[in-house]
Amino acid sequence: MGEVILTMKGIDKSFPGVRALDKVDLEVRKGEVLALMGENGAGKSTLMKVLTGIYSKDAGTITYEGREVTYHNPREAQADGIVIVHQELNMMGHLTVAQNIFIGREFKKGPFIDDKKMNEEAEKLFKQLNIDIDPKATMSELTVGMQQMCEIAKAISHEAKVIIFDEPSAALTEAEIERLFEIIRSLKKQQMGIVYISHRMDEIKRITDRVSVMRDGAYVGTLITEECTKDDIINMMVGRVIYEDPKTESQVPEDAPVVLKVDHLNAGRMVRDVSFELRKGEILGFAGLMGAGRTETLRAVFGADPKESGEIFLNGKKIEIKRPQDAVKAGIGYLSEDRKRYGVVLQKTITENSTLACLEEYVKGIFIDGRKERKVTKKYVDLLKTKTPGIDQLVMNLSGGNQQKVVVAKWLVNNCDILIFDEPTRGIDVGAKQEIYELMNKLVKEEGKSIIMISSEMTEILRMSDRVVVMCEGKKTGELDIAEVTQEKIMNLATMRD
Amino acid sequence: MEKIKNNKVVKAIGFNRIILIGVIILLYLIFAVLTPVLHSGADFVTYDRFMSALNYAYFIGFMALGVTFVIATGGIDFSVGPVMFASALISGFCLMKYNIPLPVCLIISLLIGLAFGTLNGYFVAYRFLPSFITSMASMQIAKGIGSVFTKTQSVTWPGTGNANSWYRYLVKWNNIPTGLIILIAVAVICAIVLNKTKAGRYMLCIGSNKEAVRLSGVNTKKWEMLAYMICGLMVGIAAIFYVGAYTTVQPGLGDTFNNEAIAACVMGGTSMAGGLASILGSIIGALIVALMQEGILAMGFTISYQYVLTGIIVLVAVTADIMSRKRKS
Amino acid sequence: MNNAKNKSSIIQKIDLQKIVIISVLVILFIFFSAMAPTFRKYTTIITLFGYMYYILLMAIGVTFPLITGGVDLSIGTGLVCYSIVGSYLINHQGMPIWVGILVTLLLGTAMGAFNGLVVSVLELPPFITTLCTMMIARGLGSILAGGLTGVWPVAGSQNGWVRSVFRLTLKNGTIIPIGMLWMLIIIAIMTIVLTKTRVGRYTIAIGSNKEALRLSGVRVIKWHVIAYMISGFFAGLAALAYGWTFTTITPGTGAGFELDAIGAAIIGGTSMTGGKGSIIGTFLGVLLISLLKTGLPYVGLQANWQQIITGIVLLVAVTVDMIRSKKR
Repeated sequence: MGEVILTMKGIDKSFPGVRALDKVDLEVRKGEVLALMGENGAGKSTLMKVLTGIYSKDAGTITYEGREVTYHNPREAQADGIVIVHQELNMMGHLTVAQNIFIGREFKKGPFIDDKKMNEEAEKLFKQLNIDIDPKATMSELTVGMQQMCEIAKAISHEAKVIIFDEPSAALTEAEIERLFEIIRSLKKQQMGIVYISHRMDEIKRITDRVSVMRDGAYVGTLITEECTKDDIINMMVGRVIYEDPKTESQVPEDAPVVLKVDHLNAGRMVRDVSFELRKGEILGFAGLMGAGRTETLRAVFGADPKESGEIFLNGKKIEIKRPQDAVKAGIGYLSEDRKRYGVVLQKTITENSTLACLEEYVKGIFIDGRKERKVTKKYVDLLKTKTPGIDQLVMNLSGGNQQKVVVAKWLVNNCDILIFDEPTRGIDVGAKQEIYELMNKLVKEEGKSIIMISSEMTEILRMSDRVVVMCEGKKTGELDIAEVTQEKIMNLATMRD
Repeated sequence: MEKIKNNKVVKAIGFNRIILIGVIILLYLIFAVLTPVLHSGADFVTYDRFMSALNYAYFIGFMALGVTFVIATGGIDFSVGPVMFASALISGFCLMKYNIPLPVCLIISLLIGLAFGTLNGYFVAYRFLPSFITSMASMQIAKGIGSVFTKTQSVTWPGTGNANSWYRYLVKWNNIPTGLIILIAVAVICAIVLNKTKAGRYMLCIGSNKEAVRLSGVNTKKWEMLAYMICGLMVGIAAIFYVGAYTTVQPGLGDTFNNEAIAACVMGGTSMAGGLASILGSIIGALIVALMQEGILAMGFTISYQYVLTGIIVLVAVTADIMSRKRKS
Repeated sequence: MNNAKNKSSIIQKIDLQKIVIISVLVILFIFFSAMAPTFRKYTTIITLFGYMYYILLMAIGVTFPLITGGVDLSIGTGLVCYSIVGSYLINHQGMPIWVGILVTLLLGTAMGAFNGLVVSVLELPPFITTLCTMMIARGLGSILAGGLTGVWPVAGSQNGWVRSVFRLTLKNGTIIPIGMLWMLIIIAIMTIVLTKTRVGRYTIAIGSNKEALRLSGVRVIKWHVIAYMISGFFAGLAALAYGWTFTTITPGTGAGFELDAIGAAIIGGTSMTGGKGSIIGTFLGVLLISLLKTGLPYVGLQANWQQIITGIVLLVAVTVDMIRSKKR
């Protein structure tokens, strides 16, 4: 193992209302792969953004190659040899591969861009990485995996000394991951320091040398990969929370009727032949890795995106859902993972948001019946314990958890029997999470609702679901009763490729 | 300061609106003082000037009311001025050349406005075209149709005292500014529609977050299109008040009024980003626009100054809106 | 597999849209010629070109903001404003002609820079920004030139050479549309600028993914402003072309010119959603619009139909653009 090339010490970073990083330490050495692990929202990406100058730090020091550095933008970091391969692809789809790789530092011949040389250089890079991509191809025509490879090629072309991979494998196929690992190994040989952010335990074991773990914005500790087990890492990642109160058996009565049945649903690349059933009073978990097609599936069910084929049965009766209107009329409500964009109308009040889905019931003559509307809003603010100074408060002034409750209220006001929660607690702080869980349990037990819950957090799946559907790459790869569920089983199904 | 803002009356009208009323008074005073100075022999504080400013405020006001609905949904309508002229030209041509009864002609005017509103609404809501380009296209179409229909002749509606001139009473009847009364009445109806009905609620929510509204099971296309249709109808009304005040319409013009109607809206606190709209604000905005153009002419400047000022006002108002939004988020 | 890949790339290389436009152009030309014998005259071509120069120059310029995903509505009234001010300096302030020309171009570029700064720094929607400057330009021309009509030198007068820049009359009376030559040169230059220089590269990148460009360490604001400056500069060039072709410029006109230019660019394959566009395509679009405009009166439609045609063409072009960008 090589000498230390990069040290981050006591890094603090706060956003309004959130402490994103709390005295985080990190150490990267030459010629090693350091895994950076943690649950969603543990602060890994934030830490890396602080390192590369996308965010400025509130406190702490960064020492790189023996001197203290502060970068103000990614360009400065790049010039110093610290580059990041982003999780979300930063590609300009209309340009070619080579043009993308050399954007901002084009080779020039007089006043003109030397595209020929750029193509040659890109070709060389790909050869070095042993990848077969045409530098002249238009970026938007490549697969996501190939685009990722281009990002890596771009990072390497900066003469990097430290490369950060932010969940690089999320969109890759098995073969592409193999290729990626070969590349990483060869980079390692060239004495680069590599930070590898991932959720995939098997990858961590295969490719990394050390594992640094973060939890809730804080640094937890570092393990030598060879010397530790999966469980050690998981324990550090989740603390005790993971074993807190998981469901051990389904709480749905044996004879509960099927309320929703989806048969052979196809909708684009991400939804291939998916079938499942939801029973009354059940919480059906949808597990899988990012990009497994879970959101796409349920958006198609809800009619938010067009379907190609497949049938949907509500209480045994076949229904046509072409638009969200049809689903809402049938009593299905969808709570998006991105509630600010798809869930609430931020600049409007709680009342206005609550009655949005069934405003026609709150109209007297031609006017909106303000009193009735306020009454029902008040009822659900109380029932859901939404924390707000009043029902005339604009939704934008509420916290994430309370915004989520407003969305729930919207569907309850509409008397929806089936609720689709897509990542119900994403971006919601720990205390409020608990409340959302209690609320969901209450909805199925006391209100007779049935819930489909998409979640990328294992704890959430284990704790809430009565049954778990696992998806991978647009296909349903398995279905487990909560009694037989283990984390390993889910992980296996979630990475099951054909 | 905070105390004033929290006062009940102030809250009901809106702090910004009160400031705008202050602006009107201030502008009036400035014009009153400057006019005799800059343009010797002229006087701004006269009954005629006052009524002349009101004449201008009527049709700008009706257009601004319509545009308010469109901007509320997050769109824009650049076609209102030329569509107003097309309505006035075609219905006037029907009246003068084909001797169609006046009430029918007035209805034709409304229908032409409505037709253009529907055209804009269809392309924006159902075909997903950017509203600015759609309405600019229909602006050209309106200009062209106006010219083609009248063979590039201007149309003069009957003057006071002639047969079929009772429509002018809509604007002024025995020195009573009936136009103002009608404008306020229509504004009240608009305010009710925007704030108290399902249609208005949906329009505002669409302007704020269209996708969230769609995912709530609302037929967003229908309501979005309705906003453009209301706008078209208002433009049809504006046409009647334009000829009521000025009688003569020329083909191929009208696009400068677009900006003035939009300026009236954004000055009044309607946000270009959608979701926030104030009918009262638009009316006050229209009054300011009218007062400004009257003042500029009274002081002996050309109308070109009005164009430049309108451009600057919209630019400043939209910048202020965007800045305040950025600060909030 | 490999074969299929090659096949699709061949199909992609043959730009379907351009073929369609060229076919439409040919069909229209044949149609007009067949319907109206007077259309088949050399002078018609001269007229057609005369109408085309200023639209083409505006269209080439506005292609840049369009590719960034924005728009420039100020070019139409801007053209009139710059042309009036430029000629005013020559006629009424006794300035030499080169000063007038320079000021015309500078005004355009300055307006473009202003648009670009407001759009990229203050982050106002481009259409609102340029709508305001469209309005400002409309009044500004009259104010600066004291409400006078702009007049550029006529043939035979002092500085009458400007008339020959676009339309050369030989001694034997033959008229040569030499402007077309300049146009082809400009098309060639701007094609190179768009495809072979950083200006063009970053213009496309801004329209494609502005945030990615920023993260690549490129100073986005600078290049964004440059795109609008190109549009403004070309509006200035168009102002000269307009003045030198038609001589007199009435204050307060020019509204609607920009729609011909924008419509032409979109017909030519420039996308309203940004990232895509070509100068050749814009040229073909301008040819189509100019042909329609000059041809229609020959088949009995009054000149007023031109505006209706512009509107309809614009609606159709943008609708097609929307359908295509949705498919992606």
